[in-house]
Amino acid sequence: MKEKLLDIQSLKKNYGKNGNVTKALNGITFQVLDREFLGIMGSSGSGKTTLLNCIATAVHPTEGEILLNGEDISAYKGKRLAEYRGKRIGYLFQNFELLDNLTGRENIMLPPAIQNVPEKEGAARLAQLAEYLEIEDILDKFPSQMSGGEKQRIAAARAMILNPDMLLADEPTGSLDSKNARSLMEKLSLLNQQDGSTILMVTHDCNAASYCSRILFIQDGRIFHELRRKYPKETQQDFYERILSVMAQLGGGSANVL
Amino acid sequence: MFFKLVLKNGRRSRKENGLFFLSLIVSIIAFYIILSLENQDVMKFLLRMESDAVNKIYRLLPVLYGVSLFLLFFLVYFAGKYQIERRSHELGMYLMMGMRRSKLFAMMMAEDIFNSIFSLLIGIPIAIFLSEMISLITAKVVGLGIIGHRFTLSWKAVLWTFIGFFTIKFFAMLLFSGSVVKKEVISLLSDTQEKKQKRKRRGIGYVQVIAGILSLAVAYYTAIRGNAWESPLRFGMTVVLGIAGTFLWFHGAGLLLELTFRLKKTNRGLSTFTFRQLQENVFLRPASLAVSSLLILAALCCFGYGMSVSLEASGSEAHHIDYTFIDYSQSVPDKETADEEPSVKEILKNTGLDAEFSQLFEVKTGMPDDENAFSGEGFRRAVNSLGNSENVQSLSESLEYFTTPYFISLSGYNQILETDGKAPIELSGNQAALYSDQDFYFGERLDLLNEVLSQNPVIELNGVPFELKDQVYQTNLVVDRSITLALGVIIPDSVYDRLVTRNSDSYWNAVLKENLVQKEGLMQAMMGINERLNQTSLEYESYLQNMGRQLFYFIALGYITIYLAVIFLIIANTVMGVQFLMHQRKTGRRYHVLIRLGSSYKALCKSADKQIKWYFGLPVLTAAVSSFFGIQALFAGFISMEMKTEVPMLLKLGCAMIILLVVVEFIYIAAVTRLSRRQLLGMIENKREE
Repeated sequence: MKEKLLDIQSLKKNYGKNGNVTKALNGITFQVLDREFLGIMGSSGSGKTTLLNCIATAVHPTEGEILLNGEDISAYKGKRLAEYRGKRIGYLFQNFELLDNLTGRENIMLPPAIQNVPEKEGAARLAQLAEYLEIEDILDKFPSQMSGGEKQRIAAARAMILNPDMLLADEPTGSLDSKNARSLMEKLSLLNQQDGSTILMVTHDCNAASYCSRILFIQDGRIFHELRRKYPKETQQDFYERILSVMAQLGGGSANVL
Repeated sequence: MFFKLVLKNGRRSRKENGLFFLSLIVSIIAFYIILSLENQDVMKFLLRMESDAVNKIYRLLPVLYGVSLFLLFFLVYFAGKYQIERRSHELGMYLMMGMRRSKLFAMMMAEDIFNSIFSLLIGIPIAIFLSEMISLITAKVVGLGIIGHRFTLSWKAVLWTFIGFFTIKFFAMLLFSGSVVKKEVISLLSDTQEKKQKRKRRGIGYVQVIAGILSLAVAYYTAIRGNAWESPLRFGMTVVLGIAGTFLWFHGAGLLLELTFRLKKTNRGLSTFTFRQLQENVFLRPASLAVSSLLILAALCCFGYGMSVSLEASGSEAHHIDYTFIDYSQSVPDKETADEEPSVKEILKNTGLDAEFSQLFEVKTGMPDDENAFSGEGFRRAVNSLGNSENVQSLSESLEYFTTPYFISLSGYNQILETDGKAPIELSGNQAALYSDQDFYFGERLDLLNEVLSQNPVIELNGVPFELKDQVYQTNLVVDRSITLALGVIIPDSVYDRLVTRNSDSYWNAVLKENLVQKEGLMQAMMGINERLNQTSLEYESYLQNMGRQLFYFIALGYITIYLAVIFLIIANTVMGVQFLMHQRKTGRRYHVLIRLGSSYKALCKSADKQIKWYFGLPVLTAAVSSFFGIQALFAGFISMEMKTEVPMLLKLGCAMIILLVVVEFIYIAAVTRLSRRQLLGMIENKREE
């Protein structure tokens, strides 16, 4: 049995004040297990990015707890907060968020530098990741000289360089064409399976979601459905089709009900 | 609604770009002060004394004003351009919401006019106040006293400040607004105007750096050798080489930064990011950095030059005589009318003016009747006995003309010494004393002269040996500092009367009564006496006129060069500051990413502080190095002999320049650091809320 890495307890996030409150998250509870590849899906405005931002400590939740290995991350402040952001989670953004005045290598080596990790350690990990992600040739290029896929793979290496407990990915394929998207998902899947990295990915791309081992569907700030890929008998194609049908229900079905 | 929007936007841009706004106010103040120069007490006083020279300066003022306007346009253009770029998204939104382009244009112009009026409303009162203060302080410093100071408001200066300021703002705004309004909406909306990372080919960069250093070296060399002043062509060459060198240096500086960064082993914390930010700043804007650096250089040179001139003028000797009258009744016996001429004493007595003076005494100077009466051979031998150094040689050479010196009668000179509070000279039968003017013998040359005199060398008068006293006397003979004697010989009256019978000049020196000066102030008292003296036939020179001449140089050059230095410094620093802050704002997303990667606000501030220090440091240091040579060139070309030999003066000057630079840069760096921190905090907080 896999261990529980992240425990989210009745998480709520409200925007706005007084009579004009929007409930982005309305009491979400779920767990992320160690070495899991968890997907979170939902239509836009469903609260999935807010959820990810809460876990990444980019937003403060209004209520509820987020426990990482039993510790409440909302209690983190100052140095511990910076360490959490830098070392314990890796974040993959939809639009890569590479610093465009730094080369690929410098971008990847930024978190070790910030966290004062010895350069040798970082360099060894970089060599390993570069091989995994096939980015050896573009390490010394500037982002403006890279394709979208290359940029996202550099960003993935940056997110993984410090061996975080968990990789948070916010629509990582959102800015990529289908070919690059598939290639990125294959790499992430490889990292998950071979390296044992835990990945929490928010997406509305069913294709990308089909690489996950479990998917949570969110609607109006609540968990609406859960899908598990049945290993080993279920193929990725079958899982993809199951996801599609849930999405149809989510978009079309509930709209019709309402 | 439209007006409300204009007011709101105006207020916001003042708040967001406070540094730029403040600099505009400072330039308004500078404009008013230079334009209202005519109203300054000292200038009004000078106009009565030295009207020709002052009018020349007044004619120069419009040129100075024009130059400042042009430079200010440079500032407004650079700072304004970034401000508009930053608002590009917002302006695009107005268009998307259906605002007509003409209306958008009108709105931007109205905002600018509103802000201009606002800065004028703040700037003009401060300017008037400061101008009055400067007027009072300079009057006090130069000893005019504050009697007769009247508050003056120069409407002409206010008007021209308005006109000049509005003109440049209007033209700059016309340029930006025009370019913004013409743009496609989508290019306004997509705020990503980040330039692609320029990867310069290394070879070109290094060639630029080396060419830059070489041309700067040649320019420096010709500057300190003083060759630069030999001909206009050479001067032009030096200036062109210096400017080109600075530009090339900044074009290649990015690569040099990279090289030093590569040599540094540890890349802990945000050092890579800090370096890349800085490099991008330098890469993207080598031209404006070079211009800023050249402006700082110009400011330092102007300041150094202005200071040296003021120091030289204010270091002039203390005054002890108020008036010198020339007595024609005795001096020109061969003139037919001489006998009819009444003496100075008589005229003063007849007009009752003698009652105003506490002292009135005669000093006689003249050339001996016999041209060959004097021999300075013994004196020259004593000089040559001191060795063969450069100073001795130059002194010896200058003594070759010491063949027919002026003689000064002892009694008159002793009275001068007495008014100056010095001990009189005592000469026994065969003794004489050496007189020299302070403008000719000072510093090392003076020391050398005194060393020679300590041997009591002997001169001959009509074949009779006279021993020289062991020191040089330098108290001025007459009030007029334009009458100078390089070397004179003070001799006992009996000897004087024997040797000089035909070519004797008689000067009457007078000192005003102390109670008169105390009652009315020196300036007023002398003005009153001058008016009465003008009605007589007396030829006279007063301390006031003499001071006027000196003050003119002091005020005019000091004022103008220091004024220019301030304008240059303000413009250079503001351009750098505004550009840095704009770049930081434009790359705000990067700071946001760093926070997400686990960087703390403190680490970001540290990185930004470092960037600011280097960003300002590079042009400032370049300018400081260049100014070292620039000042030397100014010394070689412009400054008097006196300054060249006085090392402490150079030192003082250097210190003053360094202090000025350090103070100004400290203020600017502190201001930019504060603004940068506030900006960083704002950016981070905004992102968190999203």
